[in-house]
Amino acid sequence: MQVIACYSNKGGVGKTATSVNLAHAIARSGRQVLLCDLDPQGASTYYFRVKPSKKLSETKFFEDVDRFADAIRASDFEGLDILPANRSFRDFDRFLSRIRNKRSRLTRALAAGGAEYDVVVLDCPPNFSLLSENVFRAADRIVVPVPPSTLSERTFEQLVAFFKDQRLPRQKISAFFSMVERRKTLHRETMERMRATHPKRFLEAAIPYSADVERMGLRRAPVAEFAPRSAAASAYAALYRELGL
Amino acid sequence: MPEPRMIVIAGKAAQMVLAAPPEGLRFVITATDRSDFALHDCFDQPLRRSGRVLLRIGYCLDLLSDDPGSVRQKVNRKLGLPAELPAGPVRDALTDLSSLRALMAHCAGQSETLLVAVLDDMEKTCLRMQIVTLVAGTGTATLVLTQPMRGYRKVHDRVIETLLGFEGATKGIMGLWPLLLPEVEPYQSKPEVPITPEEPASLVATDLIRSALSVARQNEAGIIDDIDTEFLHDYRVCLRRIRSVLSLFRDVFAPETTAELKDAFSALMEPTGRVRDLDVYLLGKPVFFDRVPVSLHPGLELLFARMQTERDLAQRKLVKHLRGANYAARIAALETRLNAADGLPPGSQGDQQALDYACVLIWARYHKVCKLARRIDDATPDEDVHRLRIHCKKLRYLMEFFGPLFLAKKFRKILKPLKVLQDNLGLFNDCSVQQEELGEYLEQRNGTPVDVELAAAVGALLATLSRLQAAERARIVTSFQAFDSSRIRSIFEDLFHQPAEGRQ
Repeated sequence: MQVIACYSNKGGVGKTATSVNLAHAIARSGRQVLLCDLDPQGASTYYFRVKPSKKLSETKFFEDVDRFADAIRASDFEGLDILPANRSFRDFDRFLSRIRNKRSRLTRALAAGGAEYDVVVLDCPPNFSLLSENVFRAADRIVVPVPPSTLSERTFEQLVAFFKDQRLPRQKISAFFSMVERRKTLHRETMERMRATHPKRFLEAAIPYSADVERMGLRRAPVAEFAPRSAAASAYAALYRELGL
Repeated sequence: MPEPRMIVIAGKAAQMVLAAPPEGLRFVITATDRSDFALHDCFDQPLRRSGRVLLRIGYCLDLLSDDPGSVRQKVNRKLGLPAELPAGPVRDALTDLSSLRALMAHCAGQSETLLVAVLDDMEKTCLRMQIVTLVAGTGTATLVLTQPMRGYRKVHDRVIETLLGFEGATKGIMGLWPLLLPEVEPYQSKPEVPITPEEPASLVATDLIRSALSVARQNEAGIIDDIDTEFLHDYRVCLRRIRSVLSLFRDVFAPETTAELKDAFSALMEPTGRVRDLDVYLLGKPVFFDRVPVSLHPGLELLFARMQTERDLAQRKLVKHLRGANYAARIAALETRLNAADGLPPGSQGDQQALDYACVLIWARYHKVCKLARRIDDATPDEDVHRLRIHCKKLRYLMEFFGPLFLAKKFRKILKPLKVLQDNLGLFNDCSVQQEELGEYLEQRNGTPVDVELAAAVGALLATLSRLQAAERARIVTSFQAFDSSRIRSIFEDLFHQPAEGRQ
């Protein structure tokens, strides 16, 4: 099982859109995916029309295996389940370690619900916290959307520095440019500069700034479902392929 | 109890279901498909007996059961034997079925499948359903299959509750059978004919004949359509049972009646022999190939090709016979005689009470078997072994006919070694008959010389069969000794050779 974290220490960069579209693409390839909405705002939960459960605000949530398994909801898409947003992640690191253990009660409880997950996608909240640190340690890949702006460049540098300080493996970071407007000189220059500074961190795929991605909130579905031939859908497909998940 | 995931509703119920979603939920049709359908099972309905439904809709074959394990695969419209299905999960799940019985369509018609999404107030799909309306000539039913989604169990429970509230709705897949095939009971090749101890023997004999004739007739359509080999086999078993009743129940009918009936049933049996003989060869084809060296296989191919042609011809002739006016008239005449209000004219033993009569017949036959078998050794002529086989067969028939009068447990104990002995004698006889029949393929036909390869293969088979016959022959003494144990002897004595009040 692979754990993929979608993370950015800056909000509004297309992180949730990435989690949703990536999870959808993996499920479409025939694998079982669990998308954990760790962002208290619950945007990916919302995108899949799932109601946040009252049960999920309990503090010891992740310690309670059965409750955890009960909280999972099937999405409308084959092979893609959602763990709706939760306000408390105190025990999430324990969850992460357990989900990797095939014999743990958690893994068995998940399988009993009819799904043994091939990939877990984590939609992380936008900050540095104990949670994000645990996520960095547990995840196999950290997918980081970076809009090509000065501010985003700064926060990305902070993330890389944080990895360095904490001696976290930087090769886990797979960054890509999001909300790209190629006609803007600033965007093109920022992208060129950042690729030069971090040649190993950035993927080729880039997600264009697109009304279709914004419409995800309105349509409440992954972009490939309602605009399969759009530039955004192709870009997410390219991102999925390049990540080689 | 397993969670109900299949609900069957009488008649065309799709519109009624769609019009009544539980509060706060909406039913949305996401796809519609119309196709032909057929409900499949073997003739004796082993799938129905084991709680399964094999439903073909278009080119899709679903094996449905209330236990987890419903499976689906693609197929052609005509199914045939289970092993002839294309590789797939349904074929894999049907390995428990007899390899001899074809999956025939018990009813067929038109279907409409609606894929339905159950949405909540967020427009989120919480449950998926298939509503399948099945309209056959024999009956109409609506099948609702629900596919619960993780985390939405309550929605599932509410929808199931609503569905079960409809008139004529039942939990589980098995409700489909009586709706699509009302009043059709699964076929039984040997239905038990109830007998009371005091019943006159002539009535017992008439009931047995009537029951066997009815079973034989149920197989006629399957023989004509050539669905599988077992229709003809069962048909012949029934006629043989009838002839056994007529010869074993001595003097229960007036002598001329017995003679007429014997002739009538022999005449029905006669046109069926050739097809059955060839069926036995063709079914055993792989065994015959194993019995000769590979170098002789081309010759065997020729032999079996010829047998197949002969079989097809014989089958056509048999179908013509069964469809003919003459056959219908003969059957009708027999049925009229058997169903006559005053019964068949009784003979001198016709009024004998069933139990006493049974004991006398079985005890006498048992004695004959023992007397003959105890004399058998290596020097005994084959004719005596054949006679022993026939006596054993008669004993077995008598025990089966009168079985309902005796304790089943004791009966099983004596039947077991008898069956072993019979199998042994049966194989001995098969080897002998086959040598004779195969030998005919070595003779010139219409002046055409016999193919050399074919002759070599048949020659090798004859040698093998002769060896096998000798081996079976050598086992007979041992098989009989197991049957002739003191325990079996005392059970026979207890059951059939006691004064009336001492029997158990």
